[in-house]
Amino acid sequence: MVDPSLLPLDPHRLPDPGEWFSPDAERHLLDRPKFCPTCGGSLDDGMITEYWRSDERVFYTWCPGCSWTGNVVKVDRATIFEAEH
Amino acid sequence: MLTVEQNEELTKVGPGTPMGELLRYYWYPIAFEEDFDTKPSKSVRLLSEDWTLYKTPSGKYGIIGEHCPHRRASLTYGVVHEEGIRCGYHGWKFDMDGNCVEQPAEAENENFRARVKAKSGLAEAMGGMIWVYVGEAPAPKLPRFDVFVLDGIREAGYATLPCNWLQIMENSVDPHHVEWLHGYYFEFLGQTQGFEAPKSFQKKHMKTAFDEFHWGILKRRVLEGHTEADDDWAIGHPLVFPLFMRVGGQWIDQMQIRVPIDDTTTWKLFYSLHHPEGGVWEHQERPVFYPFPYKDENGEFITDYVEGQDVMAWVSQGPVIDRSQEHLGRSDAGVALLRKMFKENMRKVANGEDPIAIIREDHDVIDLPCERDKFGAGTAFTDQWITGGSMRYSPLKEQLLALHRDAAVAREKAKSGA
Repeated sequence: MVDPSLLPLDPHRLPDPGEWFSPDAERHLLDRPKFCPTCGGSLDDGMITEYWRSDERVFYTWCPGCSWTGNVVKVDRATIFEAEH
Repeated sequence: MLTVEQNEELTKVGPGTPMGELLRYYWYPIAFEEDFDTKPSKSVRLLSEDWTLYKTPSGKYGIIGEHCPHRRASLTYGVVHEEGIRCGYHGWKFDMDGNCVEQPAEAENENFRARVKAKSGLAEAMGGMIWVYVGEAPAPKLPRFDVFVLDGIREAGYATLPCNWLQIMENSVDPHHVEWLHGYYFEFLGQTQGFEAPKSFQKKHMKTAFDEFHWGILKRRVLEGHTEADDDWAIGHPLVFPLFMRVGGQWIDQMQIRVPIDDTTTWKLFYSLHHPEGGVWEHQERPVFYPFPYKDENGEFITDYVEGQDVMAWVSQGPVIDRSQEHLGRSDAGVALLRKMFKENMRKVANGEDPIAIIREDHDVIDLPCERDKFGAGTAFTDQWITGGSMRYSPLKEQLLALHRDAAVAREKAKSGA
């Protein structure tokens, strides 16, 4: 469990303690985008669905202010896949 | 993965909830015309509210909140008049808009009567079903989707499932489940239980795409060995917001209907129109409706047919999927898109705008895009769908098999000039 003080304030809630994937749910709350990459508006009332693409965590994001829709990708390592050469 | 709050917002359908307010912009089938052949009223539940659906002597349909505003007795046990319904308990009478028009045991006092109004909505028959609208006026038109109004043989299997409607809708934008649940798993069952599983579901997905359009999401796929010129990609088929999926192939056109009864109950129908080119059929007065079983006598899911496999997946996910515990992958892009669209349209409604997929103009028929050559399986597809899907429980099964086989022969003859 992460330190609860690090998590966003109420009304955000976590799954019941002991559920298998609680740590991932915690990371979701901590890491999901909080402001729109285009208009800078709050995403509190937006829609952010997190999915995984290999090692990458992708946040499919919709901004309620400007309707921007796109993927925000959490990057822990810059990886370059070399083209065939 | 979503937050707990987002999951609740997406799945609660009662009055006053954001999703409930959005869903009240749409019409829902909630009963069959034949339900009113022997009695004029029926209790139904929709969007977490209880209703009385009734048919007047001249054939008009009405819907009103089930519990009388007087002492809360059920209006289903009331007296149906031409212009409304009267509570059986003390005779209070309500018109078709829910206005109280008589209070027999009370002093004549319009002030009291005017203060009493029951919830009400609109009800109409289409395609053998009774459709209701329980949202605010002005109501949009009942959308006359092709499957419900075109000529042909119509039949529908139905079941009441103990799960939230959204998890069934999400299945409609999850094309990969077809090759696994209806392909690989079906083949496994066939090999271990000794039957021949249909092969047309086993092809691998090479590419999928989801396009937003007026009625919802148009879903496309390229299967192994196919190209973008094939119907599965070039035409695709739609999720029709917020409760249908339109599928079809080889002149079986089907609307899959998911009626949100309440947060944990969905009325599920597979409504099919059979109208094969070259086929001959007699005019059908009414569609044939039949229950399809999804559990056996031991309480276990019946998984040796396509829709039974789907039901196993939907119901075993739990009454409401805990989406704070899920782990989506890139193949779930359609699921993420659908959630975004629900959220986007909840906001439109909160701002007083119309959401997508409603129609306010008079119209004869709404033609939906849908592939004709499904999975490249040709006419074998009709046999596989009828015998390997919920249609195997249809009282018309043998008639349907013959209709499609005879039509295929007639088409061949016509093509060869015989």
